[in-house]
Amino acid sequence: MTLINVLSSILLFTGGAFFLAGTLGLLRFPDVYTRLHALTKADNVGLGMVVAGLAVQAQSWVIVGKLLLIWAFVMLASATTSHLIARRALQRGIKPWKR
Amino acid sequence: MSRLSSKSWLNDLMNIHFRIAWFRVVAFAFMWVMLTEGSVNSWLVGAPIVLVATLISMVLVSPFSCSVIHSVRFVPFFIWNSLRGGANVAWCALNPKIPIAPGLIDFPLRLPPGISRVFMANTVSLLPGTLSVNLGKNHLKVHVLDTRKNVLSELMTLEKIVAKMFNISLHDGKGDECNENIL
Repeated sequence: MTLINVLSSILLFTGGAFFLAGTLGLLRFPDVYTRLHALTKADNVGLGMVVAGLAVQAQSWVIVGKLLLIWAFVMLASATTSHLIARRALQRGIKPWKR
Repeated sequence: MSRLSSKSWLNDLMNIHFRIAWFRVVAFAFMWVMLTEGSVNSWLVGAPIVLVATLISMVLVSPFSCSVIHSVRFVPFFIWNSLRGGANVAWCALNPKIPIAPGLIDFPLRLPPGISRVFMANTVSLLPGTLSVNLGKNHLKVHVLDTRKNVLSELMTLEKIVAKMFNISLHDGKGDECNENIL
């Protein structure tokens, strides 16, 4: 039981770290496109870790399924939203930042 | 004789549509069971919602074929590359120098228009260093976080995997010519 708790804590903390890094990227990256990179990818992994951390503690398979389904829906929503934001930004003529 | 054969053709079409509709009803019902953790009372709301969701999906998403084996194989590929993508972007955000060299590229699509392209565009955004910006007629505009890396070959690999998932055969040769044939 404690082993599961340890594994769960590691996954939850790692997930939190990814969310933190994604937010840091959102603040530090130079333009809208690079910021979307930071948000979509880091948050996808962060949420995946949190979901995995909760799933190993789950009492039944239905709850594991529910958590995975939530992850899948959030991924779908974030990928679609980031695509729409990036497309609109390009249509409005926002040039990507270049080094 | 010809009338009979045309009628059976129509029957076949109807059957295919009914089978797909039934399949989607089962899939949505399964999702509802998961989300409500198997609560029986919730079906008062769930049953109409499953039916409406199926109707909407039949209108919006035309029937497509999908390989079960390749869909299952896609899962580890996706998880591994998501991890790579998340770790890569997290490292860039934490690094004081922000080691990125972003740019836009046009990727010539060989997938036919439809669900497979949308799936590809969505997946691109979650994989390392790429973000889909615009899904054009036969190009996918991709924003790349680091243009010094070879992103094109990774996109080609992804396209092949997506094509296998949706039982599509990609024609070899120049992407542009190929797409004009499909359109």
